[in-house]
Amino acid sequence: MVEAKQKRRRRLQATKGFYKAYIKKFYRDAHKAKAEGKPVAWVASTFPVEILQAMDIFPVWPENYASLCAAKRVAVKFCEIAESRNFSKDLCSYARCVIGSLSDKENSPEEGLPRPDMLVASTGACDTHFKWFQYIGDRFKAPLHLLNMPYNISGADSEHLEKAHIEFYISQLKELIDFLEEKTDTKLDKKRLKEITALSDRTSQLWGEIQHYRKTIPSPMDARDAFSAVFFLLSIPGSPAAVEFYERLRNEVKERAENKFGAAETENYRLVWDNLPPWFDLKFFEYLNTLGAVVVAETFSHVWMGRLDPSRPFESFAKKYLPNFANCSIDRKIHLIQDLAEEFSADGVILPTNWGCRMMSIGETAVKEEVYRKLGVQSLIVNMDSTDRRNYDEAQIKRNMEVFLQVLNEKNQNG
Amino acid sequence: MDVLRPFRTLLSIKHDVARSWQAKGKHLVGWSCAYTPEELIYAANSIPIMVSGSLEPSKHADVYLPINTCSFVRSCFDSALKGDYEYLDGLVISNSCDNRNKIFDLWKHHVKIPYVHFINTPHTRTEGTHNFFYDEIFRFKTSLQVTFGEKLSDTTLKNAIRIFNENRLLLKKVYDLRMKDPPLISGAEALEIVLSSMVTSKEEHNVLLKRLLAGASNRADPPKGGVRLLVSGSVVDNSKPIRIIEAIGGSVVADDLCTGSKYFWDLVSSHGDPLRAIAKRYLDKVSSSFMLEPGTNFSHTIEMAERFDVEAVIVFALKFCDTHMFDAPQLVKEFEARDLPVLYLEWEHSLSGSAQLKTRIEAFLEMVKGVG
Repeated sequence: MVEAKQKRRRRLQATKGFYKAYIKKFYRDAHKAKAEGKPVAWVASTFPVEILQAMDIFPVWPENYASLCAAKRVAVKFCEIAESRNFSKDLCSYARCVIGSLSDKENSPEEGLPRPDMLVASTGACDTHFKWFQYIGDRFKAPLHLLNMPYNISGADSEHLEKAHIEFYISQLKELIDFLEEKTDTKLDKKRLKEITALSDRTSQLWGEIQHYRKTIPSPMDARDAFSAVFFLLSIPGSPAAVEFYERLRNEVKERAENKFGAAETENYRLVWDNLPPWFDLKFFEYLNTLGAVVVAETFSHVWMGRLDPSRPFESFAKKYLPNFANCSIDRKIHLIQDLAEEFSADGVILPTNWGCRMMSIGETAVKEEVYRKLGVQSLIVNMDSTDRRNYDEAQIKRNMEVFLQVLNEKNQNG
Repeated sequence: MDVLRPFRTLLSIKHDVARSWQAKGKHLVGWSCAYTPEELIYAANSIPIMVSGSLEPSKHADVYLPINTCSFVRSCFDSALKGDYEYLDGLVISNSCDNRNKIFDLWKHHVKIPYVHFINTPHTRTEGTHNFFYDEIFRFKTSLQVTFGEKLSDTTLKNAIRIFNENRLLLKKVYDLRMKDPPLISGAEALEIVLSSMVTSKEEHNVLLKRLLAGASNRADPPKGGVRLLVSGSVVDNSKPIRIIEAIGGSVVADDLCTGSKYFWDLVSSHGDPLRAIAKRYLDKVSSSFMLEPGTNFSHTIEMAERFDVEAVIVFALKFCDTHMFDAPQLVKEFEARDLPVLYLEWEHSLSGSAQLKTRIEAFLEMVKGVG
């Protein structure tokens, strides 16, 4: 009893009841928008969702919906439905889950996803985004617009992007806006875009501050909270709700950091986590806590931030989205993880692969080698899937994790 | 038959063939995606060489790649790690899929190649993407000139276009030999002919193609035919899977492969600015599955099925080739709607598990024959 109470006390207040307070509300709002005849767009990540927000198009984010289905333990069932229709078991589990959910409304959490009036995606994260949406668009007879993003092969950061890449991206944004204006029969209001851009910038700034406080030893926030709270940054960054929530979260994390109050009882190992968590088992991070390990930084929490200049929104979006590591050579990911490991005083790095995802799976060995070579920090590659529980061998993963922590422990003692 | 043997030979000694061109003073530039504008390479006194894999287990690549990686690019990487491509003077890559993007990053880490160039290929066709792609092609031209010290003039480009277009037209004629029933050449032979064009000079390949076309109708050992099939897929860089199908009663008379009809179907316009014509051809060519068209566009695949009068279709999905795998369910439906029997198969590049593939294909062919 006492232990349970202590655990509860350790979870952040701001993220308490997050699902009910924010996720449920989000899907309620989406259905409401649809019912009221407002345009609803399905959007894939690595996309300037701020533009949709500025045009009052409701941005539905199916990737989030898949993670939600995983948490509700219905994802496997949905994946199986998709597989029975020739969608390979090796395809992205987000895509399979959402495709399957369309044929099983009854079991779909939050009454399923509202029917799209249009779909938008970019080439920036993966092939799956637009191939998946192409199928959805065909199924609902809804138009899909694809934003071409030049692949950032040099891995340049926002200050060193090729001029031609920025120019092309901006020209692609103009094509996108033409498409949205035509489909919604409204003009993009530049003033409104400025306001949304300013809000999104503030959201990123606050999220950045929250991450900064996690450098404190012990870390005031763990991955479990981060993987919930990051929702706003991706789904509706340009909104007062995002700013309000992150201000509250920032204040709490800051206070904890100042009082040296850690997210876990004991913090013997500080870890960096790459890619996605097992959405169906976020308690995994609490299990890590019981072993004295705390995830202090996720790449996921760091790649979606980007400061924006409201007076130059288009150029800002280019600088925010083009350097996202999904759109870059592996070198960029290597440098990001090296930086995180160093800045967050990490003892180890966890590199989970994702069965249906080439982008997240290929290159993890290079990351492991390069992080060790530069910093002497060890990594563990964990083969799993974020959403399809069938590709998640819990017992083996936990065994490997325990052995890995032992290795870190021996290293700490020797050295 | 003698007029066919040279193509097989070219493939079996492809690395020696490449080296022999190098000995004659040509630069060798590897490529991986059919969206690579090979004419530019050819105009730069170079031979474009398709980087392909082998049927051996990719144990060298397995050290660096997870098992959920496309087995074709994995096999290519394996060949590179073994040193099979150490003769390359350069490598040109483009963003045609996640597997390629990420694996070619690893090439830079693990395989030494003097010159690597990246071409950004848009996935849609608009005025804006055409302009961007032209700039990319222009950049590639400049890069080749600087790297190899060769001048790519309009004359050399036009000459390359002429030779490549001739190759494409000849390959189409070779494909048309399969309109007859039984076809005059088998599916495995046709694939080998196309693949062999990717490992040597197109000019020399044209000579072999003309000889073949002159002698094909007098073959002493024509294929025995069978159930007329279209094979749909992305990359098939070895004739073995087609041989398996044809050994058990199938007759592959058509395909929509990136290494088959999609590779050579479209010509470059010989009018106007050659560089613009090249850029336009490659962005407008018959779409690979990474190109987004309004609606799902299988018009080329359907055209091939009709032109070659096929009785059934095998959708040959290369494992972990996401873009094609996402198309597959739709493609299956498309053929079902046309009352064409269709078999969906997932396969590993190394053909591990081929006994099971064979059994399924056999059962499918029996079913088709039963219906017919």
